[in-house]
Amino acid sequence: MNRMLLCVPALLPLIGGMVLLLAHQAGRNKVKSGRNEVRSGRNEVKPEWNGGQTGGGQGDVAGKLHFGRLEWYILGLTVVNSLVLAALIWGQSTDSLVLFRLYGDMTVMFRLDGMGRIFAGLIAFLWPLAVLYSFEYMRHEERKVDFFAFYLMTYGVTAGIALSGNLITLYLFYEMLTLVTFPLVLHPMTREARRASRKYLYYSIGGAAFAFLGLVFVLKFSAAGNTNFLPGGVLNLAAAGEKKNVLLAAYLLSFFGFGVKAALFPLHGWLPKATVAPTPVTALLHAVAVVKSGAFAILRLTYFGFGIEFLRGTWAHGFVMAAAMISIAFGSTMAAKEAHWKRRLAYSTVSNLSYILLAATMMSPLGLVAALSHMVFHAFMKICSFFCAGAVMHQTGKTHVYELDGLGRQMPVTFGCLTIASLSLIGIPLFAGFISKWNIARAAFDCGAMFAGEAGAAGGNVGGNALGGLTAAGGGWTTAGSWTGFLPYLAVGVLLYSAFMTAIYMLTVLVRAYAPVTGGAGSVAGAGVAGGAGSVTGAGVAGGVRSVAGAGTAGDAGSRMGKEWSDPNWLMLAPLVIFAVIIIIFGVHSQPLMEILYEIGGAVA
Amino acid sequence: MNGNIMLIIQVLVPIVLGILVLMNRQLRENRKLLSLTVTGALAVSLILAVAALAGGGSLTLWQLTDTVSLALHVDGITALFAGLTAVVWFLVGIYALVYMTHEEHETSFFGWYLIVLGVLMGLDAAANLITFYVFYELMTLTSLPLVLHERTKGAVQAGVKYLFYSVAGAFLALFGIFFLTTVTDDLTFVAGGILTADRLAGKEGLFLTAMVCMLIGFGTKAGMFPLHGWLPTAHPVAPAPASAVLSGVITKAGVLALIRVVFYIVGPDMIRGTWVQTVWMLLSLMTVFMGSMLAYKEPVLKKRLAYSTVSQVSYILFGLSVLEPTAFVGALSHVVFHSLIKNALFMTAGAVIFRTGWTRVEQMGGLGKVMPKTMLCYTAVSLGLIGIPPFSGFISKWYLAQGALSSGTGAWGYIGPVVLLVSALLTAGYLLPLTIQGFFPGAEFDWSEIETRKLAGKEPAWQMVLPIALMALATLILGCFPVPFMSALEQIAASVL
Repeated sequence: MNRMLLCVPALLPLIGGMVLLLAHQAGRNKVKSGRNEVRSGRNEVKPEWNGGQTGGGQGDVAGKLHFGRLEWYILGLTVVNSLVLAALIWGQSTDSLVLFRLYGDMTVMFRLDGMGRIFAGLIAFLWPLAVLYSFEYMRHEERKVDFFAFYLMTYGVTAGIALSGNLITLYLFYEMLTLVTFPLVLHPMTREARRASRKYLYYSIGGAAFAFLGLVFVLKFSAAGNTNFLPGGVLNLAAAGEKKNVLLAAYLLSFFGFGVKAALFPLHGWLPKATVAPTPVTALLHAVAVVKSGAFAILRLTYFGFGIEFLRGTWAHGFVMAAAMISIAFGSTMAAKEAHWKRRLAYSTVSNLSYILLAATMMSPLGLVAALSHMVFHAFMKICSFFCAGAVMHQTGKTHVYELDGLGRQMPVTFGCLTIASLSLIGIPLFAGFISKWNIARAAFDCGAMFAGEAGAAGGNVGGNALGGLTAAGGGWTTAGSWTGFLPYLAVGVLLYSAFMTAIYMLTVLVRAYAPVTGGAGSVAGAGVAGGAGSVTGAGVAGGVRSVAGAGTAGDAGSRMGKEWSDPNWLMLAPLVIFAVIIIIFGVHSQPLMEILYEIGGAVA
Repeated sequence: MNGNIMLIIQVLVPIVLGILVLMNRQLRENRKLLSLTVTGALAVSLILAVAALAGGGSLTLWQLTDTVSLALHVDGITALFAGLTAVVWFLVGIYALVYMTHEEHETSFFGWYLIVLGVLMGLDAAANLITFYVFYELMTLTSLPLVLHERTKGAVQAGVKYLFYSVAGAFLALFGIFFLTTVTDDLTFVAGGILTADRLAGKEGLFLTAMVCMLIGFGTKAGMFPLHGWLPTAHPVAPAPASAVLSGVITKAGVLALIRVVFYIVGPDMIRGTWVQTVWMLLSLMTVFMGSMLAYKEPVLKKRLAYSTVSQVSYILFGLSVLEPTAFVGALSHVVFHSLIKNALFMTAGAVIFRTGWTRVEQMGGLGKVMPKTMLCYTAVSLGLIGIPPFSGFISKWYLAQGALSSGTGAWGYIGPVVLLVSALLTAGYLLPLTIQGFFPGAEFDWSEIETRKLAGKEPAWQMVLPIALMALATLILGCFPVPFMSALEQIAASVL
């Protein structure tokens, strides 16, 4: 029984989402057949699921909660699923469940090990809160049923990635993730959204194809003939040693292939574009689930597939480390340049995901620990920042950083949470971000020392160690040791450069919000303008928010003085506050989590 | 959490009081209540600080990660810096209560002013490098509202510049801290340092790189070239009391950082004779000269004083860089003397703005007629900064020059004192014109403005003059009877060098 529970978190939301879609479709057909009598606009064609809440969504007044059948259904499934995940994590079982056999040893297998537990715990915690937030955010959006159906299915797929016990299963869910999140990016159905979703699709599918190549090689050279994850890798080192360069090339291809989802430069292009999606999607999927699945896949590939013993000190090692560093520097620089708030945060994700990859490419247990810790902490910081941006968009329709003047005092809770998230992202001590940055730097220095040690060993005794083998294999790369030697230290420098850029792109927002320029001669708008702005706000709250974005800008001069915006209701605030509190708790008391991570790291050593 | 509990109380009380001032709506309307609250809060903070310093000891707050703990303690350096901070904060606070009447958002100013005090007390009492770094970052963030206070375009831009320079500096320094954690698990401050040559074996190059990063990074706060650019922008735009403490106290946090790293973690012997020491001496002397030169050319008084800070704080850094006990004593004493003098100077500049609205030096002819007592104090502290006996600045410079000459740093031992002398000349050049024009504006001086505005004899309120006078008096007394103070500093120097 316990074993069967392993497939539940992946399958329950998937099936639940499909049922919802089918039921909705059935309802729509029924209405279509009787269209003449019903005389319906498009919005009302949801009798079964949306209309059930009589005027929910469109009609109700702000502040009043409306939990219709759709909301209960989604929330119920999400919470149940999270509870099942929690039970699995709590149970600490090491059982594995083979769902079915594709061919020979290629099985779809679920198993929850330490690393999977971390990722599963993360999504199990975040998903219900994100769902709560999106109820409020999506209240005025169309096609809610489609949206929530796919949102739910994504939960299942992401849980599947966390639970997968071998590379094949991981790959299966990885591909599915693209397919179920594609409709979410497409959701606004604007021209821009269509372009963005197409780009997302091409990038992801293409990347997965490259990743598949690496998978084939792992399977071929695997010691046990399968790809079941083993701490320390599954390769038959003797056989692999003969084809070292081919295998390393395959590793590189799959690293970049999975790197697409982790928004690795130069394959990050889809992520900033995909911010056209509704904020709950950008926040949860593009800051946590999707991108972290990419990072998670790379961690699996590196530490549990190829194995760090095989990769350490090779040219591929230096290559991927350099790629992660370039991506960090690029992402944070672009973020500082970007004026669109959500896109700025998306570039910040590009940079921060590469922190995780950078830590991973230290190819040491400490590196894995650092990567996992940043994976957890970044999830909270980034989802909190995105939710703040979303709350501002929802309340005021403002999308660009330069429109935020003076909002800090009007939406104190939102911006309070944003302040905490920002300081954490920058890596100020007492906030979670500092802990993970600390770990990454420690892993980097450790790796640097390791390089120095290995280079020395290779000089003295060209024997069985990785670098010695390399000397024999490829003449061109014998110098690899010397040029990779300083890379880890440079990595710390890049990390700090990026932290500085983070300060620029996060704190400019806060300075604008809290300390708008008001003292300048005559820049303070008169009462007349403020009154005008007030009327715009009235319209903004009543109607669809996005439509008044332009008008909001027009009334901007007035908004500097008046207090016409306010914090959103508790559905949106509760997740924000919870995330902010967690960031602080992890910042001052990360010990318990770190101990779990050290245990995971110890296994791959 | 065991140890002297007062250590954390003296940190938390000002912060909590500051937050209360920020949140309380009544204080916004009731000025009398505000004055009372702020005076009371400052007095309580001062008493708590004295009690904590007198109590001594140490206090471990909690473990941040497995190897990193947050801890506070009291040693000689703590007593020096924390005592100075608490006293200066109290005096400037009294001054600010009158000065801020002509600014907006007073509660916001005083709230943050109190919070920064708490953070600084924590910074001064930090017992290890991580705790120090925590408070160092907090100091940047909490002092930002003081710079931003006026909310003009210039102020916001200056604030952002201040923020970015500080953060960049802090992260440069963080590289060094990361490195240090790889060679030692325990970053607790121990007089004389804890590193030994064998711990660094094989990593010498990296170690020196890390040290330069820390030097430049922490040097940012102290206004050291090449990251000094924020200081002359940020200090003048803040309200005068804020400029005073920013220049007089917060720049010293950079000095404190370097003292802690070099003399309490790394150990002076590890960098003596390396290129890092050369870079340090070179940068600080360049900054001394450059700051004086720019101050000499600067027409706006507050900006001139800010450049003067750039120059004077690097006197201290130079004194540290030669790694010699006498110069070390000179540097520590200059921390105190410069702080008192620069606070008095900025408060004078503020008093001038408060009474007359004049900001440029050439406007200030005849000022001696307007506020004779203030100008007298100004002259006294100016002479102190130039280094004319019997004012205190002379003592610190004497020690600095002597230490440099006997430091065994070769040519630097001579170049240093020469640069200090040239800079002293420039200091006279940029400070004394105000006195000369103020008291002796010349026969053809146009008195019409002072007469039409009836400015003659308009001394500011006693709450503003008294702090300036007390600081001037301290400058004089410490110059005349320096022995007890200097011998206390010599004890600290003996423990680290």
